[in-house]
Amino acid sequence: MPKTYQAKHHLWLSITFASFAIDDEDIKSKLYDFSLIAFRHMKWLGTEILSNGNDYNYDRNMQLYRRESSFEVLKALVEEITNIQELYPKNVLGDRIKTDDKYLLDYLNQLLADEKNNKQITAFNMERKWDESDLDQEQTDALTLFLFAESYKEYELILVYAYMQARTDDVLQFNIFQDLVDESHFHLKCFGNMMAKLGILALPRELHEMTYKVDDLQKFIVDGIAEEEAAKEMCKELSESIKDEKLSKFFDFINYQENYHIELMKKLLK
Amino acid sequence: MFENVKMPEGLSPEVLEHLVSPKNYGKLDNPSCVGVAVDEKTGEYVIFYAILKDDIVEDVSFATNGCQDTVVVGSMFTEMIKGQNTDYANKAIDKMAKKFGNVSKQQQVCIEIVLNAFVASMLNYQNLCDGKEEEMHVLKMEESCDMQNQPTEKQDA
Repeated sequence: MPKTYQAKHHLWLSITFASFAIDDEDIKSKLYDFSLIAFRHMKWLGTEILSNGNDYNYDRNMQLYRRESSFEVLKALVEEITNIQELYPKNVLGDRIKTDDKYLLDYLNQLLADEKNNKQITAFNMERKWDESDLDQEQTDALTLFLFAESYKEYELILVYAYMQARTDDVLQFNIFQDLVDESHFHLKCFGNMMAKLGILALPRELHEMTYKVDDLQKFIVDGIAEEEAAKEMCKELSESIKDEKLSKFFDFINYQENYHIELMKKLLK
Repeated sequence: MFENVKMPEGLSPEVLEHLVSPKNYGKLDNPSCVGVAVDEKTGEYVIFYAILKDDIVEDVSFATNGCQDTVVVGSMFTEMIKGQNTDYANKAIDKMAKKFGNVSKQQQVCIEIVLNAFVASMLNYQNLCDGKEEEMHVLKMEESCDMQNQPTEKQDA
């Protein structure tokens, strides 16, 4: 079962990053919906593992290949989904996941049947050009560093809060963790799509268990609040340094969201 | 090895590559030794794994919850010492610290936390060779990268 969990973790990331890599808005949007479904699969598999008295971890053994066409991305997804089927449990949960995957496979095969869907992928070209405005080198570097730092941080937060949520019986904690996970999904989506636009799309690095096996929740939350404060500061600095109204507004918007995360986290301290 | 290398504030293609794909990242199975450097103030850590054979660093890896500077330094340092003997690896610490030279205080802490994690792993190896039971050796950082909350030095009137 932990092997199934790891494979689902890989598949969640593969669908998510396929969505970021592909330019076509319809395909991007649909794949992103499927990625959230895959994340729920992962969560349910985790719950089942824990209820059986076993445990799971966030170890990974995957790569994000720098593919050059939509079809390369879609074909790789079809292969991964096909290969995972035999790992699912033979029960109601396994049946549900298989039905979802079958629907996704049908959708992917429909896309692959029409050559018009085969577009060039620029998400990995490393050109670091922001098409919507002329950013100078310094601004581009600042944006690049911000996206690498924050895409990792959002991935980390999704997994850490999901890990804690799976292990709490406290309803308030459960709800706050859910809100924080949802918010981080949205931020990861924003930052991942921006990385793809810049041609620097990359997987966040793997989480070591020292990051998510938390003994002292209070200290973890206090450190987390300090990190949110630092993220707010980064957003503010970026918003001020980037001379692009649309981007500045976006970073202000993210900055205000971090404010509310801090309030949510403070509730966990009570 | 570190000619033309710039820390992340001036992104060279090499640094960008380390950001996109950090080298030697993650856990190592059956390591000879494990070291951790931790900044207790921020909770930031670097864990360092090494497989040593006849004084050669056969394999090495690291993981961190730290910032991008820490990742780039860890990636570069592990590339530098992999396949070398431990004497070279120990000297590489100074070489590495000198090479980066003009960095901010915050970046200096990022360099130090990686190097301290390596030192901790060597101490763990020494302790194991001496027959002590130690899962990993932990070193606490004296300097924190939390610059905003550092105690300020007392000013003379």
